[in-house]
Amino acid sequence: MKDRIDHISAKRFMEELQRYRKGSVTRRHFLGVTGLGAASAVLGAAMPGLRARPAFAQGIGDRVALATWPNYHDPASFEAFTAATGAAVDVSVFGSNEEMLAKLQAGGSGWDVFVPTNYTITTYVGEDLIEPLDLALLPNYDAAAFDPRFAEPGTVDGKLYAVPKNWGTTGFAVNTANLGDAAKPATWKEFFDITKGAFSGRTMVHDYQLTTIGNALKAFGYSFNSVDPAELAEAEKLLIEVKPHLFAISSDYQPSMRSGDAWLTMCWTGDGKQLNRDLPEIEYVLGREGGEIWSDFYAVPKGAPHREAGYALINFLLDPAVNAKEALFHGYPVADSRVDPLLPAEVLADPILYPAKDLLDALEFGAAVTLTDPNRAELMARFKSA
Amino acid sequence: MRLYALAIYLFLYIPVGIIALFSFNAGRHAAQFQGFSVQWYGKALANPFVMEALRTSLIVAFASAVLATVAGTMAALALQSVRGRLRALFDALIYIAVIVPGIVVGIATLIALVTVFGWLNPLLAALWPGDAPPQLALGYGSLIAAHGLFAMALVVILVRARIAGMDRSLIEASSDLGATPMGTFRQVTLPLIAPAVLAGFLLSFTFSFDDFIIAFFVAGGETTLPVYVFSSIRRGVTPEINAIGTMVLAVSLAMLVTAQFILQRGRGARG
Amino acid sequence: MAPRYRTALFLAPAAAWLLAMLVLPLVVVLVYSFGARGEAGGYTPAFSFENYLNLGSRWTAFRNTLTIAPLGTALCLLIAWPLAWFLAMRADPKWKTLLLVLVIVPFWTSILIRTYAWIYLLGGQGIPSFLNALGLGNPRLINTPFAVMVGIVYGYLPLMVFPIYVSLEKLDKRLLEAAADLGAPPWRRIWQIAVPISMPGVATGSMLVFILLMGEFLIPAMLGGGKVFFVGNALVDLFLQSRNWPFGAAVAVALVLVMLATVAAYMRLTRRLAGARDDVSLM
Repeated sequence: MKDRIDHISAKRFMEELQRYRKGSVTRRHFLGVTGLGAASAVLGAAMPGLRARPAFAQGIGDRVALATWPNYHDPASFEAFTAATGAAVDVSVFGSNEEMLAKLQAGGSGWDVFVPTNYTITTYVGEDLIEPLDLALLPNYDAAAFDPRFAEPGTVDGKLYAVPKNWGTTGFAVNTANLGDAAKPATWKEFFDITKGAFSGRTMVHDYQLTTIGNALKAFGYSFNSVDPAELAEAEKLLIEVKPHLFAISSDYQPSMRSGDAWLTMCWTGDGKQLNRDLPEIEYVLGREGGEIWSDFYAVPKGAPHREAGYALINFLLDPAVNAKEALFHGYPVADSRVDPLLPAEVLADPILYPAKDLLDALEFGAAVTLTDPNRAELMARFKSA
Repeated sequence: MRLYALAIYLFLYIPVGIIALFSFNAGRHAAQFQGFSVQWYGKALANPFVMEALRTSLIVAFASAVLATVAGTMAALALQSVRGRLRALFDALIYIAVIVPGIVVGIATLIALVTVFGWLNPLLAALWPGDAPPQLALGYGSLIAAHGLFAMALVVILVRARIAGMDRSLIEASSDLGATPMGTFRQVTLPLIAPAVLAGFLLSFTFSFDDFIIAFFVAGGETTLPVYVFSSIRRGVTPEINAIGTMVLAVSLAMLVTAQFILQRGRGARG
Repeated sequence: MAPRYRTALFLAPAAAWLLAMLVLPLVVVLVYSFGARGEAGGYTPAFSFENYLNLGSRWTAFRNTLTIAPLGTALCLLIAWPLAWFLAMRADPKWKTLLLVLVIVPFWTSILIRTYAWIYLLGGQGIPSFLNALGLGNPRLINTPFAVMVGIVYGYLPLMVFPIYVSLEKLDKRLLEAAADLGAPPWRRIWQIAVPISMPGVATGSMLVFILLMGEFLIPAMLGGGKVFFVGNALVDLFLQSRNWPFGAAVAVALVLVMLATVAAYMRLTRRLAGARDDVSLM
C-alpha cells in the first residue's frame, strides 16, 4: 500500500489535488491517480473499523454555525458537507480563545460547533458553557485512534466534552528574502531583537495573550504559562519596548505576510506550512527556548440552535478521508492514526508539521490558569492600549 | 475652486471605485486584479448567509423605524402639554440618548439584557407549565429595541422642532371654526408635522440599516449586513465583499436619486 | 378622554422605551463599574472604587481619542468648508443638487466597506508601491495614526459638508458684491461675511463629527492594525477579549462623563463665538 502512494511524486500529488479542488478532474480520477482510493479501499476491507461510516443523518436542518480559527478549513469540505446534507456552513473566525470565551459568556452566540484549544476546556466545563458529547451522534469518533497526549484534555471529570481536531505548535514565520546579511532568528530573544532592529515596522504578534505574553516570557527563559508577577512585569516591559516596532497586533497575519507588508510574525504550524508552500522564502521556525504545543478540539456549546447539524458536521470532519484532505489543505498535523496512512510520506516527514524531538520537547501545553488569570488578561489589554 | 472641488470628489470616490473595480476580479484575492468576471455577484446573491443578513437588516431597520417614529411623534406631541420638572427630565433623557456613543449603548444594552435574562430565564423555566419554556435571548428583539432608542430620540427632536416652528394660529383657527380636537389634529397638525415625521422615519431606517457597533454587541445569534461584512473581513477577503459593497452603494445611490427626482417633480408640480 | 390621560398615554411608549433601554442599561453599567471581575471573566457583585482608580492604565487610549478626535474634526472642517462654499456659491445651479447628492451618498454606504478600501490603498500594494515606483521611497502608511486620520476624514467629510452648506445657502450674494464694491479683498469678504453666517452649520457639523469620533472603534480597528487604540477599542477589548466587565463599565462611565463635559464646554464656546460675531458689523 505504501508503495502505491510513494509511486506518485509529491509535486504531481499536489497538482492533482489542485485539479480536483478546482473541479477539473473527478473524485474517482483523483483517488485513482494518487492511489488514495485503492489504499483506503484495501485498508477498509482489511480493517472494517476503518471504513468510513455514513457520516450524517438526513433532515438536520438548513444550516450550521461554526466558530473557528483563520485558514483552518478547506472550503471544499464545507461544500461537500452542504451537498450531502443540505446544511450550509456559517463560519465565523476568531483569533484567540479569549474572544470565543467572551462571546459564549455573553450568551446567545448562535454557535453549533466551535474549536477550543486544550487548556480552555476545563474552564468551559466549569462555566457550564459546553455539553458532554453524545457519542451516539459521532460514529466516526474512535477513541483508540487518537494519540492520548492530544486527546486527553477533551475529557473532564470522566466525561468526554471535546474531540480532537488537530494539534500544532506556535513558532514564528520569517521571510528570509528580507534578511540580507543578518542571520535567521532562531530563538524568541532574537525574534524580539530583530524586531527592534532590522525588521522594525515589519513584525506582527498575535492578538492573543497566551502566545504573545507566553513567547515574550520565553525570550527570558521563563515558563510559557507563568503567572508570576515579577516575570510578567519583565515580559510586559519587553512587549511595550517592542510595540513601536510592530507592524500590527493581529492573529490574522497571512494576508500581510503574503503581500510583503510584514516580514516576521508569530505563527501557528499550519499557517507556516501554507505560507511556505506558496512562498518558499517564508520559513517556519520554532524558538529554541521553547513555546507552545497545543491541541485543538471540536466542542458543542450548550443551547446550540442546530445541535444535530453541529454533530453532523463534527462527524463529517472526523471521517478519516475528509480529515486527510483537510490536513493536506491546512497543513496542521492530525493526531488520528487512521489518517496517517492516507497522507503522502513527505507530509508525514515534514519538519514544519512534525518538528525535531529536541525542539518539540522544549514546548509546553497551555495551562488553564493562563486563560483565567486576570493579570495576564490585563497585561495584554494594557499592552494593546499603550 | 473648481479644481479643489474636483479633487475632493475624486478623494471621495476613488476608494469606492476601487471597491467596485475589484468586485469584478476574476481571481480569488481582493488585492490582485486577474481578469474581468461577474462571478462574485452571483456568489454573493447565492450566498444564503448574505441574503439572510440582508433580510435581518431590512426587518430590523423597518421595524425599529416604524416603532420609533410612532412613539417619538406621540411623545413630541404630548410634550407640548408637559411643563416643569417632568419636561426637563424628558428633555435630558432625549439629549442623553443622542449624545451617548453607540459603543456605550451597545455595551450597556448587552450587559443589562444578559443580566436581566439571567434572572428571568430560570424564573420562567420554574413557572412555565409546559416542557419547553421560552428562553429570552439576544436577537431581533434586542436589535429593534436598541436601534429604536436612538431613532426615537431623533424623531422627538425633529418633530418637536417642527412643532415649535408651526404657526399656532392655524390650530386656533381650526378650533374656532368648530373642528373637534381629533379633527384639528388629523387635518391641521398632522399634515404640518408630516415632513418631520417622514424625515425621522427615513433617518431612523438608514441609521439602523447602516449601524454596526450596536448590532455587533446585541445581535446575539442573528447577523445584520454590516456585522456580516465585518466578520467576512476577518474570515479572509474575497471579492465577494466588494460585490456586496458595490451593490449596497448602487442601491443607495439609486434610492437617493429617485427620491431627489420625486421631490423635484413634486416641487415642480406645485409650481 | 381627558387631556391629561391622553398626554400620559401619548408619552407612555417613549417613556417606557427610554426607561428600559437607556436608563436601565446605564444604571447597570454604573452598578457594574463598582463591581469585581468574575473568576473567568464577567462580573461579580462587589463595591469598590478600584476600577475608577485603575482608569489611568488606559490613559493612552483616552489621550489618543482626545487628541485625534478634535484634530480629525478640525481637519474635516478645513477640508469641508471650501467645498460647502463652492457648492453654495459657485456651483452651477443646474448641477447643484446632483453634486450635493454625490457628497452625501458615500455617507449612506456602510462606513465599513468604505474604510476597507483604504486598507488596500494604504497597504503595501497601494499608494506606497506607487510612491516607490516614483522613486519616493516605500513609506509605511497603514497601521499608523496617519492612516486612522485619513480614514476619519474620509468617513466623516460628508457629515461635515452638509450642515455648513445649509448655513451658507442663506447667504445673500449681494452682501458679498456690496463688500467687493466697497473695496474689500476676497479673503476679508469671506472671513467677515461668509464665515459668521456659516457658524451655526459649522457648530452643528463639528459637534456631530466630534461626538461620533469620541465613540469611534471601527476606523482605528481596521486602519490601526491593533496599534492605534481609541477608548472605543479599549472598551471592545475589555468586554470581548479580556472580559473585565466591571473595569469596562468604569471606562464606559468615564467616556460618557468626558463627552458630556466636552460637549457642554463646546456648546458654550460656539455660543460665545456666534454671539461675538453677531456684534461685528457687516461693513
